[in-house]
Amino acid sequence: MKIIVNGETHDVAVAPDMPLLWVLRDELKLTGTKYGCGIAQCGACTVHIDGVAVRSCQMPIGDLEGEVTTIEGLGQPETLHAVQEAWIKHQVAQCGYCQSGQIMAAASFLDTNPDPNDEDIDRAMSANLCRCGTYPRIREAVKTAASSLRGA
Amino acid sequence: MRKSIILAMALLSGVALASEQHGLVVNTPPEGSVTREAGLQAWERIHAVVSHPRCANCHTDERNLPMWSGSEYADAQPHGMNVHAGESRIGSETLACQACHVTSKRPNTVPHAAPHAGMDWRLAPVEFVWFGVDGPAICAQIRDPERNGGRDGAGLVEHITHDAEEKGFITWGFNPGAGREPAPGGMQAHLEDMIRWVAADMPCPED
Repeated sequence: MKIIVNGETHDVAVAPDMPLLWVLRDELKLTGTKYGCGIAQCGACTVHIDGVAVRSCQMPIGDLEGEVTTIEGLGQPETLHAVQEAWIKHQVAQCGYCQSGQIMAAASFLDTNPDPNDEDIDRAMSANLCRCGTYPRIREAVKTAASSLRGA
Repeated sequence: MRKSIILAMALLSGVALASEQHGLVVNTPPEGSVTREAGLQAWERIHAVVSHPRCANCHTDERNLPMWSGSEYADAQPHGMNVHAGESRIGSETLACQACHVTSKRPNTVPHAAPHAGMDWRLAPVEFVWFGVDGPAICAQIRDPERNGGRDGAGLVEHITHDAEEKGFITWGFNPGAGREPAPGGMQAHLEDMIRWVAADMPCPED
């Protein structure tokens, strides 16, 4: 079946119930998206489908409708997404394992809510777990990214 | 719409009508053939379904919080992860329900995974509140077109057959999979109870 990931069309020969996460990592070798729990409890595997955050471990490839964006397609080293820039500015990452999911969740959230308050941020980001406890820095980075995206 | 008209005609004509729709057998009894008592008994079974956590957990009030309650939980509590469905009732203000509860007609097979259905996951409209509401109040709401999505009796029956077609939330409630306790009865029994209740002119316990 054909899927579009980061603007490129791929033809993958896999079972239709294979989760998108498996396709991304094992078939397309896009390993920036992480496997955490496999049951939508941690958020590490968050990608965008038509711009909306989705836990890729939950999406059977046969039910996928829309274009997928992974952390590899959100920005490039020379043209980072505003969320990625903010992550560097605030030195959010510690071990880093959850961070691609955190960044994808934040980018999708700011697309629909460009001027969030702390409560909004906590509601949007609480389903992305970080065992290093970088939550205060995540919240500050989301605010910085929001400000940057608004052109402030 | 066509099915609604056929069902309404059957209800009015006094002729029994049977059809098969999306794996369900729709047997419409002749008008006047279901007593008020039988209708109330059907309502009690409908109430056992709609008040079950599989259904009521997402029929919550204007606080827009899905609930976690039922035999799988020691105490009723709002959905974990600080989830808030917002006024949109689909979470679009902060985190869409669909971020974890994807839209898929495939069976739910993985314990503890976010459940999915063939419809986009969401809270029911706020006027359909069932969680923490007593039976007579739910009964009054379900038969009130102002508060049930504009449905008459035929519309309530079609709501179930349409759900079967889409493998939506009613279908999921009876077959949640992955170790979750299903709503009592089954899709066919629920459909038959709804048909009986409608044929008895939708009686409520406190009428």
